[in-house]
Amino acid sequence: MSDLTIWIVIVGLTAVTLVTRSLFLVLGDRFPLPERVQHGLRYAPACALMALVAPELFVTQGAIDVSFGNPRLIAGIAAAATILVTRSMIAAMVIGMAAFTLLRLVA
Amino acid sequence: MIPRALFGREQNLANIRRDAFLRGVRAVAPATIATGTWGLVTGVAMVKVGLSTIEAIGMSLLVFAGSAQLAALPLVAADAPVWVILLTATVVNLRFVIFSAGLQPYFRHFPLGRRLILGYLTTDIGFALFLSRFARRPDAERGSPEQVWFFLGMAAGNWVAWQGMSILGILLATQVPGAWGLEFAAIIALIALTVPMINGKPALVGAATAGLVAVAAAGLPLKLGLVVAVVLGILAAMSAELMLERLGARR
Repeated sequence: MSDLTIWIVIVGLTAVTLVTRSLFLVLGDRFPLPERVQHGLRYAPACALMALVAPELFVTQGAIDVSFGNPRLIAGIAAAATILVTRSMIAAMVIGMAAFTLLRLVA
Repeated sequence: MIPRALFGREQNLANIRRDAFLRGVRAVAPATIATGTWGLVTGVAMVKVGLSTIEAIGMSLLVFAGSAQLAALPLVAADAPVWVILLTATVVNLRFVIFSAGLQPYFRHFPLGRRLILGYLTTDIGFALFLSRFARRPDAERGSPEQVWFFLGMAAGNWVAWQGMSILGILLATQVPGAWGLEFAAIIALIALTVPMINGKPALVGAATAGLVAVAAAGLPLKLGLVVAVVLGILAAMSAELMLERLGARR
């Protein structure tokens, strides 16, 4: 890909990202959402983050893998348990990465 | 008397803004571990795909969207047509349309230019932290200086962490081995952010649904599964809330 094309891609990505991120901020006055929908959007944060994370833990090379042989899943559960108990981001990172590294060495 | 009173009030507003901004910075501080790790991963990835240092830094500063950048990079490497790359990024970004609808009541009083700046600054983590903090507040408080400046403080912390680590990744790309498992560190940081947000039964039902759907739909192209999962998760949470209300009313 030429340098010019790469810059076109960069400017294009900037534009589509700005449009999607601002769409309702800009058009929301003209197309107001029903109160019910607006209210339901309070659940969007937890849903969006969970939807980002879950496939990374449960899917290995295109196949669902729920087993002790899946280091990502086990390390992810360990990290989730750590944050539940300690509420500490650092502790969750340390425990999660330690579990991940150990399990990969064993496997 | 009047100018003094006026000055006093402005001084007061300036204090409110500064305090809210700093509270935003503090609130986002733990999350910058996630943001920074993603930024580092993205910075390394841009250079590994063949972007020059200037191109990679330009992409980081202008686009400021990790998932869209990471989705576009393999297509750049494969010399895909520009419109395919932009369409892919748009689909990956669709969740931001939902976020913008969630934020609209808070920023509706601003002119177009400022709305675009607020849009540019909206990230997954920023949106999640902001709405989980303020969605249960009374409608009258929506868009108050405290809330807007809290958002700006959070966004500033997020932006600095992302750009700093992304540029670090760009500069050190050739020295970072792939075997470190950096990508997984970013996932763990996201998990640590997600768990505390699942507060209450409807949120639990919604998050579980979103997770299940995202896993089941992981094979869909262009990360479309992500959008389907978010929509179904929200619907499930709303249904659960409605059912719990009815059960409560019957008692």
